[in-house]
Amino acid sequence: MAVNRNVVDRALAVLRALPRVSLYNIRDHDHRKKKSARGQHGGGTHGHGKKFRQNYLPLGFESGNTPFHLRFGMEKYYKRYRLEREYPPVSLLMLQKMIDTNRLDTTQPIDLSSICNTGVYSMNINFNHHGVNLTDEEGFDQFCAKINIEVQWASEGAIAAIERNGGVITTSYYDPLCLHAVTDPARFFLRGDPIPKRMIPPEDAIEYYSSADNRGYLADPEKVSLARLALAQKYGYELPKIEDDPDYTMLTMRKDPRQIFYGLEPGWVVSLKDKAILKPKDKELLEYYRT
Amino acid sequence: MAQFNRFTGIFPLFRAIKGIKVNHSSNYKSAIALENLYPNSKLTLTTPSKIPETNEKFNGYIPVKELQITYSRSSGPGGQNVNTVSTKVDLRFHLESATWLNEDIRAKLLEIQKNKLNKEGYLVIKSDLTRQQHMNLADCLSKLRKMIWAACAADAPAPAPSAEFLEMARRRKEKAARERLLEKRSRSMTKQDRQAPSLD
Repeated sequence: MAVNRNVVDRALAVLRALPRVSLYNIRDHDHRKKKSARGQHGGGTHGHGKKFRQNYLPLGFESGNTPFHLRFGMEKYYKRYRLEREYPPVSLLMLQKMIDTNRLDTTQPIDLSSICNTGVYSMNINFNHHGVNLTDEEGFDQFCAKINIEVQWASEGAIAAIERNGGVITTSYYDPLCLHAVTDPARFFLRGDPIPKRMIPPEDAIEYYSSADNRGYLADPEKVSLARLALAQKYGYELPKIEDDPDYTMLTMRKDPRQIFYGLEPGWVVSLKDKAILKPKDKELLEYYRT
Repeated sequence: MAQFNRFTGIFPLFRAIKGIKVNHSSNYKSAIALENLYPNSKLTLTTPSKIPETNEKFNGYIPVKELQITYSRSSGPGGQNVNTVSTKVDLRFHLESATWLNEDIRAKLLEIQKNKLNKEGYLVIKSDLTRQQHMNLADCLSKLRKMIWAACAADAPAPAPSAEFLEMARRRKEKAARERLLEKRSRSMTKQDRQAPSLD
């Protein structure tokens, strides 16, 4: 039977305008085959067996004894345990020992990578450890090294001890992804991944790292200079003139807030096998790593 | 992976060998570099000689060189630690010849803290508050600073009462007067009622 050409054209025009056929705009027509009640004419018991009307027991029921998921009550103290960062401590005494045994080089800036590479400090990223906490519990009086150190947390006494000897201390944050690279650089470079860029600290930490009193890496260096004097006044020591120090350039060396290794930029790929560094050239990548 | 030893010198960056020159400097500047966060700051670490001066007699700066600080052993329980470690701090200086202090403050301190002065005229401050020497020294300095601030405040005139305080005081006075008069009138009526009534 011949279909009117006009009808065909109109139908095709409608089809052109309609959206693509997908699961979201099709449905069964009313005369579709209904789901069977199983077996011939429904099968009598409809698939539930001939014995008796079964009682479905609650999920997790252990035939009488307290189920596993009800044995232990909830405690408030561990509610946000995954969000609570931990900083395994390094005392000033431990730091002095590392320096005295040549595990740390004081002629170069010390950061988390150097401390992890001493082999004497251990931390586990899986346990929510975010870096070094420099404490002044032991070794305030014994500490006598002039260093440029970057830690993740520092007590006021520790800051005073470092600055008293003419050194510089900075507290900085590494997000967990960067920590994998920073804590074991050799292993990270074997992977051949590009150096990641550091993320800014989480909401509850950003105030700490922007504060000059904590020597945060996001704080204004001018305010840090004043805070150094205030701390010297508090603890009663004469603040050494850092500008007159011959190691001034080494002591004031700092990483960019997005950088995780000194002298290496995020985005670079370090090839240990070829003993070369591969740098990205793509505009989008360069923009990503510089923002 | 098992055979790789991270300490065999693959890259001098990871070993603490003194003398090996590693290039730590980098021209990398991200969008959140300190230059972008604080465009008006000098971004250099300096040693200011004094905290910015104020017009008051004392701006908080104490030259520690001018003070005589000695350490000794603390008293109290503690066994071997308290017997051997010098945690007690004795801080003293000759008050009259302390040129770093304003003259007015010196005079005031001589008056207020005369109990802390010894025969030679030295102001003596001691502390064995904590188990650590540096914390006790901080305690001594904070005590000294508080003394100086108190001496500054003693001279200062009392602050003028605020408008809210004056208003409250006025209301209180008026209320007290009202209640007194109410009481007085009530008493007067009681007394009058005891008299014989008059016909006029």
